[in-house]
Amino acid sequence: MRIELRNYSDNPAYDELVDADGQPRPAARVLFRHIDGLDAGELEARRQAVEAAIMTMGITFTVYSDAGNIDRAWPFDIIPRVIARGEWARIEAGLKQRLTALNLFINDLYNEQRIVRDGVFPLEVLSGSKNFREQCRGITPRFGVWAHICGTDLVRDRDGTVYVLEDNLRVPSGVSYMLENRQLMKRLFPEIFRAISILPVDDYPTQLYDTLAALSPRRDLHPDERPVIAVLTPGIYNSAYFEHSYLAQQMGAFLVEGSDLVVREDDRVYMNTVSGLRRVDVIYRRIDDDFLDPEVFRPESALGVPGLMRAWRAGQVGIANAPGAGVADDKVVYAFVPKIIKYYLGEDPIIPNVPSWLCMYDDEREYVLANLDKLVVKPANESGGYGMLIGPRATQAERDQFAELIRANPRNYMAQPTLSISTAPTLVDGHMEPRHLDLRPFVLQSDQMFVTTGGLTRVAMKAGSLVVNSSQGGGSKDTWIVEAED
Amino acid sequence: MLSRVAENLYWMARYLERAENTARLINATTQVLLDLPRGAFFGWDVLIRVAGLDNLFHEHYAQADEDNVVNFLVRDESNPSSIVSSLHNARENTRTFREVLPMEIWERINDLHLFIRDNASRATQGRGLRHQVLNGVIERRQSIIGLLMGSMSHDIPYQFLKLGRNVERADMTTRIVDVNSAVQLPADPALTVPALERLWMGTLNAMSAYQMYRRHVGVHVRRKDVVNFLLKDAHFPRTVRHCLDEIEGCLSVLPRHDEAMRASRRAWRRLDGMRLEGLAPVVLHEYMDQIQADLGDVHAALARQYFDLHHAPAMEAGVSQ
Repeated sequence: MRIELRNYSDNPAYDELVDADGQPRPAARVLFRHIDGLDAGELEARRQAVEAAIMTMGITFTVYSDAGNIDRAWPFDIIPRVIARGEWARIEAGLKQRLTALNLFINDLYNEQRIVRDGVFPLEVLSGSKNFREQCRGITPRFGVWAHICGTDLVRDRDGTVYVLEDNLRVPSGVSYMLENRQLMKRLFPEIFRAISILPVDDYPTQLYDTLAALSPRRDLHPDERPVIAVLTPGIYNSAYFEHSYLAQQMGAFLVEGSDLVVREDDRVYMNTVSGLRRVDVIYRRIDDDFLDPEVFRPESALGVPGLMRAWRAGQVGIANAPGAGVADDKVVYAFVPKIIKYYLGEDPIIPNVPSWLCMYDDEREYVLANLDKLVVKPANESGGYGMLIGPRATQAERDQFAELIRANPRNYMAQPTLSISTAPTLVDGHMEPRHLDLRPFVLQSDQMFVTTGGLTRVAMKAGSLVVNSSQGGGSKDTWIVEAED
Repeated sequence: MLSRVAENLYWMARYLERAENTARLINATTQVLLDLPRGAFFGWDVLIRVAGLDNLFHEHYAQADEDNVVNFLVRDESNPSSIVSSLHNARENTRTFREVLPMEIWERINDLHLFIRDNASRATQGRGLRHQVLNGVIERRQSIIGLLMGSMSHDIPYQFLKLGRNVERADMTTRIVDVNSAVQLPADPALTVPALERLWMGTLNAMSAYQMYRRHVGVHVRRKDVVNFLLKDAHFPRTVRHCLDEIEGCLSVLPRHDEAMRASRRAWRRLDGMRLEGLAPVVLHEYMDQIQADLGDVHAALARQYFDLHHAPAMEAGVSQ
């Protein structure tokens, strides 16, 4: 290998591309043969070319600060993460199974609540849920589906098992980076794409469009007419604005802000256009429930559209994800997902959950409090890693403070063992070192289901770091699903 | 299309046009300066005046010399019309409607923005480097126009781009013409005539108009002919007349265009009625002011009819499906 692998002898984690003997895993062999044909200088030249392309393509995320909004280039590592097609087929089936069950669950919660009556899901968890919306009771959206777009975070532990870490059912982001990463790789390594059969990822915008179009309330459209789809964004200061505009562009949809929309007495949603008002059929909203409709949720929200909930309840507009879908995006609900799958589908989960302890149960809470130095403790309703305790890395004072929080509000906390999440070789100063990563595939559901081929691989660029968030030094890699060599 | 997007497209086109024309204005002035005969006088403050930025300039600078004026027009971020500010604004505007433009357009605009960000300081290090940098801006801007023409559907969004470009361009043409009125020439006619000829030749060159002028008007570069050409020629794409024709063409395919169309026709008729022979420079200057005011009316009509909707969502707008 001309590009040297370093720090692999003492890597305690499972590596995605390199086995315990330092040899490429079967799915990664062709990739390594190709990398072997490059010297460090060539690889470095490609890396610089990628950086230049990222600047020109304007692939950025926005970091807001007092000094104004700063566009940061998207940190990208050119060594892809490779997954064998056989393994991916199993994961794909598991993701579909999971979202199907979650949508049945959400629809049940807002209607009969059979799962509560049958004693499978405790009432106290439901009543303590911040994201359960009373305003959504009694509604069954088209196809009974509430979460149309789901970003599921997967991690692999030391023994090679893939776990679901969390289900993002509110406004998951990152899919545009998955698509752009592939574009970058094709620009920079066209010859690899000739040599290896890498499954394409670029049908996601079409699939997303079809998923959304199926939600249109106007069923009598002329075959030449298309439903009007709008992506609702909070605006250019949102960190995911790049993605909102990218997806609107890829789908040929309108990118709208709340102030572009108006709900009239007929309960229909219209947008202000140069020709007057035009009806909107489906809204792919990228703002949280709380800000969606000041008439129903936060009255001071300037991002939303007054009357939007009224229009949705009247069946005059499709909204994805449906308001209230976040009820299943809760770290405590997460712990029940295996039971939820069993209850609605009569199946065992194909992809396991990370073992979890719920602080609402006395015995499990006592275990958590006694083992805070070994566990990761998460609050039920935060996302993006906020409000978490990573026991082994925390100080005693921090752990004591967290113990108080848990005792004060046990329903709000759950704990998991500290996983040793997997690594993959990442280019560092002309050689490759292991860096930790996760994977976020995106799953779509309306009349049909779809799973992205792979997903967004997020990688912690700092040695030893487990934090993959882009705001904290995380980057990403292209993700390849390939036929493995025997 | 969305009113907000229409407004942002229109302004993006104006900002891009403004950046290019400011580059052309500085190049034209440099040409004028090189060709001045002994005894003639020209002050750089004219650029600030024709751009309508005197007050702002004097808040920040004591003296209107070449360095200060060029710095102010090229890279000063406190000047909202400087090339750096215009391109920054164009890019920020583009971010709000990337979905309606072909992907490469965003890449090119982003690239132009990065180019001026990295090179603006070189534009203030002498005339040679300045010329290189300003031409870099003009070339990149031209490639964006080419790409737009060739890769964007010529539908409603495109009309707003074209409107922005032509309103701004017509306005800047009058300002570039105005620069020459400010040159004070020596009394000796033996010096004046050739000097004048070179002056206007410089203006034509800066507007990439010299060859077309020669083909359509002739080899002699006389003031009245040049002014007539730059204002009233129907075919050269930077003339006021041509811009007004383009504006009318755009409006004719837009819905609810009556008010803006009336404003545009009014400007056209006034231009058509202007007799430009034998004008004193000060009268020419007043004519230019008049055209600028008429273009301002066109802009105001566009804003009322197409852009202001989203500021008042409760208004009674027609409902169409």
